[in-house]
Amino acid sequence: MSMPRVGIVSTSMTQLRPAWDSAQHIDLISAVVLDVFKGTGLTLDDVDFIIDSGSDVLDGRSISNCGFLGALGAHHKEEARVEEDGLWAALYGVNKIRAGSSSVGLIVAYSKPSESRDIDLYWGSMVEPFYQRPVGFGQKAALGMQAQRYFAAHGIKDTDAAALVARRWAAAAEGGQVAIDAVPDADTVLASAEAAAPLTDLMISRPVDGAVAMLLSTEDIAVRLGRAPAIITGIGTSMETHAFSARSANQLESVAKAAAMAGAKAGWKPSEADVAEVSASSAVGELLVLEGLGLADAGKGLDAAMSDKVNRSGGALPADPLMATGLVRLAEAYRQLSQPHPGADAPRRAVVHGTGGVAMQTNCVFTLEV
Amino acid sequence: MGREVGIVGVGQTHHSRRRTDVSQAGLVREAVNRALADAKLSMDEIDTVVVATGPVLFAAVNQPEKWVVDAIGAQGKSVVRVTSGGGAGFAGALAGYYQVAGGYSERTLVVAYDKLSEGQLQYSISTLYDPFWGREFAVGIMGFSAAYWRARMDVLGHTEEAAAMVSVKNRKNSIANPYAHVKKEVTVEDVLNSKPLCWPIKLLDVPPISDGAAAIVLANDKVAHHSTTRPAWIRGIAYCCEADNAPERSLMLSEPLAIAAKRVYRAAGITNPRRQFDVVELQEPYSCFELNYYESLGLCPPGEAAELVASGATQLDGDIPVNPSGGCMGANPIGAVGVIRLIEGATQVMGRNESHQIKGAKTALVQSGGGWANLRGCAVLSA
Amino acid sequence: MFAAPETYKHDLPTFHSQISMPYTLTPGRAAGTFLAEMPNRRIVGSRFPGGMVIAPAQDFSPVDGEEPEALVQVPESGVLTAFTRVGGVVIGLIRLDGCANEFPHRILADLDVLSVGQRVAAQWSDGDEGTSITAIKGFVLAPEAPEGKVTDLADPAEPLGVIDYSMSLDFEHAYGPYYGRMFDEIREHGRIIGIRTSNGEDALLPPREVDDITHKRTGTWKACGNTGTIRGCSIINMEILGQSRKPPYVYAEIVLDGASTRMIHVIEIDDLESAKEKIRPGTRVRAIWTDGERQGRVSDIDRFEVIED
Repeated sequence: MSMPRVGIVSTSMTQLRPAWDSAQHIDLISAVVLDVFKGTGLTLDDVDFIIDSGSDVLDGRSISNCGFLGALGAHHKEEARVEEDGLWAALYGVNKIRAGSSSVGLIVAYSKPSESRDIDLYWGSMVEPFYQRPVGFGQKAALGMQAQRYFAAHGIKDTDAAALVARRWAAAAEGGQVAIDAVPDADTVLASAEAAAPLTDLMISRPVDGAVAMLLSTEDIAVRLGRAPAIITGIGTSMETHAFSARSANQLESVAKAAAMAGAKAGWKPSEADVAEVSASSAVGELLVLEGLGLADAGKGLDAAMSDKVNRSGGALPADPLMATGLVRLAEAYRQLSQPHPGADAPRRAVVHGTGGVAMQTNCVFTLEV
Repeated sequence: MGREVGIVGVGQTHHSRRRTDVSQAGLVREAVNRALADAKLSMDEIDTVVVATGPVLFAAVNQPEKWVVDAIGAQGKSVVRVTSGGGAGFAGALAGYYQVAGGYSERTLVVAYDKLSEGQLQYSISTLYDPFWGREFAVGIMGFSAAYWRARMDVLGHTEEAAAMVSVKNRKNSIANPYAHVKKEVTVEDVLNSKPLCWPIKLLDVPPISDGAAAIVLANDKVAHHSTTRPAWIRGIAYCCEADNAPERSLMLSEPLAIAAKRVYRAAGITNPRRQFDVVELQEPYSCFELNYYESLGLCPPGEAAELVASGATQLDGDIPVNPSGGCMGANPIGAVGVIRLIEGATQVMGRNESHQIKGAKTALVQSGGGWANLRGCAVLSA
Repeated sequence: MFAAPETYKHDLPTFHSQISMPYTLTPGRAAGTFLAEMPNRRIVGSRFPGGMVIAPAQDFSPVDGEEPEALVQVPESGVLTAFTRVGGVVIGLIRLDGCANEFPHRILADLDVLSVGQRVAAQWSDGDEGTSITAIKGFVLAPEAPEGKVTDLADPAEPLGVIDYSMSLDFEHAYGPYYGRMFDEIREHGRIIGIRTSNGEDALLPPREVDDITHKRTGTWKACGNTGTIRGCSIINMEILGQSRKPPYVYAEIVLDGASTRMIHVIEIDDLESAKEKIRPGTRVRAIWTDGERQGRVSDIDRFEVIED
């Protein structure tokens, strides 16, 4: 009794912008849903189900998916809303296809954080309301203390974090998928306003508006379409305890657990990947992710981060479309595996990471191969 | 191709109008403890967890699965939340089903809850409307539900009397349900004379507002026997939708439900729903919806729902008992209702229903839904 | 539409929407007791089987979800284990003496005098913060504070059943080109325009780039009439927060002449019974526009009226 292998057939993304002020949510969604089919030979008729990721709190609308069903292409199809980062929606889609009842799925993730007057409330509303919210604890406070501890434990300095941020912005600007007016250098990063000491504004991932769509199918159908399928060979996820202070300091255990789950299924460890696309809520968060994945020992995340194989897209620091970031990482990894730069040793394996919650409480890891 | 999936353990809270002794997290804990005990499992033996609730604005905690994870003792595990308005519980079960069927887990715990006493239900549900187009006129989901019923009244004969019969039946059935909190027998006259809220919906057509949680353990065919010798196997399950503002949108039939039913019936080998189902559990946000579902689920032809309920066929002693648990009329913690209906359907075919065991029940139909009445699904369970 | 860079940057208006509601949240036994004891200036923790104490009190262990065996009183002094500054406010993690965990609170000191490991002590608020964790104003440096001890909680207050809470979220929604054009027409000309489907004559309202059903690009703009037909309606006879009118009134889904999809609006009525007869699916209605200045909103139509034969 074998289950089909599931692969990515196509991906489509809007540009990621600080504010898509000329478009509504449904405009971004319908744009990527229309575009994802082009060149594949598939149409919306071939799609068995749609899984979408979005947030009522960001959208300003309860059960926001039920108002966006048309744009999602979901009319008269099976639809499900995962109120978590898009990588979890992809996880759901893979399970559905493996179960055998469907062979083609459409995964969509989107958000417009620019429409929230105070994005801190999105995070603040996520911490429990009796002890943490009233004292002003939220995402920023958690990220600040996470960074303070990491710097102290490993002798990493804010200049190191700034260099990482500058490198990521430069990569994103080159890629063209992210709207960037001016690429900040390390000094500019250091000089940006204090966000949560010791982190400056630019050391925290920048929320942007955007949408991403992805077509998943059985390996057979992908081959039938004449495409080299990128197969999702491993998935793992894990969620830590709610209270930030109760989690292990200076590590993201859930990343390690998720990586182990994914690696066990794929038959290889994330550290063996040719390319890595990882999400993060802050520069230090990104280092913790890389260490959790096993790409570097504790405290050595910076070495991995500065390597050529990590976050070629720029990652989440310059562009964090909340609720969609992990799926964007998967799309970027897919691009790198299916369209390698000419002349390079073509990468065959990618590790992809998505995250959610205050100080990255929950994490998801995918392994992808061609 | 995928693995077979069954419900091997169930648990729900004693739902109430307002629980002031436990937080949302505590409510979830109660249901989870009961389901795990019922399945003879510890949390360690659970691979993944799916949490489902109504919209976050109901209770002011965004992404609450990240808070209740501690109460469940699921730290470190794979935990994800799905949401679908009133259908959230069912959508959660569907997501859990695919985790097991797709080989991602062997045992998945699905827990759904809502603590409606914490918020302002009608106002928060009104925010489902487009802020630009219609929200200022929104009256929760009652306003449009009543408007759709009104349209069906003339064309399909879904009279106030027929809906009142549904309310009478379900309220009477609730009395024996140990988990329900509204246990008051009413007559058709009582319902017809009750205060119009959004006419034709009247006070007694409306379920209560409740705090409650419900949980099920899903397991694959390899490990189910550790928990029970008689799992409620999920023979088919689907959840479909329709765009809310369509020219052809049928106010008569629930097309997404009919489409889901078609798929589910084919998977489960159901060719004559009226004859083949021993029992039906469906989620009626208002009494009028039960009439709509009789037709959309193919239990009777369009236009004959009023006749069906009047005939007594959907009573406890009829040939197609519907909502022997009392449906939503006894307890309505909205986000949990989909799982509650699955529990009621599952325990019927497992032979251990606590409200009214339908004798010899082998095959159950369960329905749930949410959103703008545009997200609807069903499942067939058999033991 | 999404890949083309804008060559001309417009200053686009946004649509402000606010979601704001009161709540009555239930803290549960542990937090309920902690909060009830705030006016008594006692800090309540939970002791778990095995002796671990955490504060503030929790009903479930953050480690494994176990339930506590008792509520205890914990000392007001402890150790600062991390800190940061957000928006000028210093927030830190404190581990109170005798406790295994840390929790966040405000630190009443400047960032530059703080270091991890310093002893701190609670400072209670001068004013009346009531049953809130902010009854502790924050923590101050207390290098001389002696090591405190966890003690039994004598005569614990009744746990609070509910606390009052409110949440207010503000949004600035982008109109996008379709809603933008439609509402502009509403404001400037008091006219409703919709968009034709790719293969049809009737207008979709509200308009959008892609048809919800066929998922094909929509066609051209079309003006709709001022009259229409009711597709569904109900008589609102109850009060809810945020209503625009006093009940009873009719909530109606109306298909304007020339359109194929419905818009939602209201019809004023005298009483329930006559409205039941007079207003039903199929009834013809007319839009009554506002006398005042139009804003470019659906409420520029004040209401609809039944067209008498």
